[in-house]
Amino acid sequence: MSVYKHIYRVYDGKVTPAWARVFVLARYGFNEGWSSKITIGLFTLCLLPPIVFLIGIYLANNPIARALMGFRSPQILTIDAGFFLKVLEIQSWFALPLASWIAPRLISFDLADNALPILLSHPISRFGYVLGKFIALFASLSLVTWVPCLLLFVYQSYSSPLPWFAVNLQIACGLLAGELIWIVFLSILGLALSSWVKWRVMATGAIFAAVFVPAGVGGIVTGVLRTKWGFLLNIPFMMTSLWQRLLGAPESARASFSLPTESIATMLVLACCLSIAMLNARIRAREVVRG
Amino acid sequence: MGVIDLQGLEVRLGNRIVLDGLTGSLQGQAIGLLGPNGAGKSTLINTLLGFHAPSKGTASVFGLDSQRERAQVRGGIGYMPENDSFIGNMSGVRFVRYMAELAGLPAGEALERAHEALFYVGLGEVRYRKVNTYSLGMKQLIKLAQALAQGPRLLILDEPTNGLDPIARLRMIQLIKEIRTQGSVRLLISSHLLRDIDETCDEVLILKDGRIAALCNIEEERHSNRSFMELETVGATERFSVSIRGLGCECACFPGGRIKLVIPDHIEVRDLYVIASQQGVQIRRMNRRRDSLEDIFLRAMDNELGRTAHVSL
Repeated sequence: MSVYKHIYRVYDGKVTPAWARVFVLARYGFNEGWSSKITIGLFTLCLLPPIVFLIGIYLANNPIARALMGFRSPQILTIDAGFFLKVLEIQSWFALPLASWIAPRLISFDLADNALPILLSHPISRFGYVLGKFIALFASLSLVTWVPCLLLFVYQSYSSPLPWFAVNLQIACGLLAGELIWIVFLSILGLALSSWVKWRVMATGAIFAAVFVPAGVGGIVTGVLRTKWGFLLNIPFMMTSLWQRLLGAPESARASFSLPTESIATMLVLACCLSIAMLNARIRAREVVRG
Repeated sequence: MGVIDLQGLEVRLGNRIVLDGLTGSLQGQAIGLLGPNGAGKSTLINTLLGFHAPSKGTASVFGLDSQRERAQVRGGIGYMPENDSFIGNMSGVRFVRYMAELAGLPAGEALERAHEALFYVGLGEVRYRKVNTYSLGMKQLIKLAQALAQGPRLLILDEPTNGLDPIARLRMIQLIKEIRTQGSVRLLISSHLLRDIDETCDEVLILKDGRIAALCNIEEERHSNRSFMELETVGATERFSVSIRGLGCECACFPGGRIKLVIPDHIEVRDLYVIASQQGVQIRRMNRRRDSLEDIFLRAMDNELGRTAHVSL
């Protein structure tokens, strides 16, 4: 049909496979998330620490450059698990505002104009819809978390005169695992809260609150009851402990406050399950009034 | 195999039975879905789309079970919901393209058909504007455009003229008629406006309290009443009525020379004039009764049991 004829014709061409529809959602979601200048600003900000760390690695492996900069001691910068733990922590916490900004953009536009009946009337399931949005957010967060972290690791492996890569492979695995756990958790939490708060600014605030408010409550529980289990509500504390163990870095928390890895994993899984339940309740084509 | 086949379909929402044992086969080119508020029209549409699972029975579209083969059913359906449903932050063409891609069209084809669909419904000039800047009528049209862009086999329109001014309504009705005339897509139109259904549909399913009150072909129903006639005569009315009874017509006489009669298929109206002329009777007025959709609807609503599978009028 030509446009000027203005008549209707049936589509009889080829159709994309069902699994590809998830990537249509992801592509449009990614585009929506990155159409904002604030997203670009946050992304740029997230890339500043890796540049600083990159310079650090360069200086650590280049004695001439160190001398030119006026650093006398060769131990001024040690590239080890502790160094990469800092990289991981900084990138992870920079990912939080990015997730808080992008996640509401992925969901709330659909909810604000009641687009779900139309979206879900197409051959895409509710799971497919959430998965598409999840991929968009996960991909966005990957750009500022495990991708730069691993690039720094690769650069250090390349720059080091010693056989550094094989000896420190645990750091690479720890970086990847630690960042993947964090951004999966952040993505699910971000989507769940965005699906319940239609106003985007409020949703952004709710994501921050979901990370930090329970930490305060956990601190109170720990202080009042004199128990370490209050830290199970403290996401920053739990994640730091987990990252330290994954990278093989020394733990910063006192032994009496140290949480078992199983407890941390259980809490994270529970939080993810709760978020999925929230998404399940909210992402529906039709709300059914019981009674 | 009909367009839509219902086999004892029962849908419960919570503890409430919303659709109660619907059985029937809808085969028309354009099927009207009528019923008072709360009759179950939207629930039936949602069930066909797989949004609600039947508690008993089945609903199938083109022979595909709406629940088990949900994805395939949805792939062949273009759906225009009743209420506002769009992504306001997107331009018209991007929104329609997005929906077409979700339906399975490759990106290039989806873009081409999005432009075509928008021109077709009359939104070509505003296709680059964001959807949330559209008027109510435009929003109805863009919902129609997104439903058309994917090239569905069945187009489900839920209250398509809702909130439209008379001119926009006429335009929408004209569009639906055009789509129906093209013949390549079947239509299921839900409305509480009898006139809309009357103008666009050839088959009607009337729901009442979640049950089928009537399922009939509108044209056939009208045709079945074409033989019903009312005459106003002057002259020897009694003798005239005896003569036309002799032709095989059923008739009843009323004061003032009024006669109501049912003419068998083999009798032409001309025969009545011939007899009248022979007997010196003047036929002053002749009305052929055609049942309107309103008559069909009201009879269906009056049906106390509300269980009629096929209405006989």
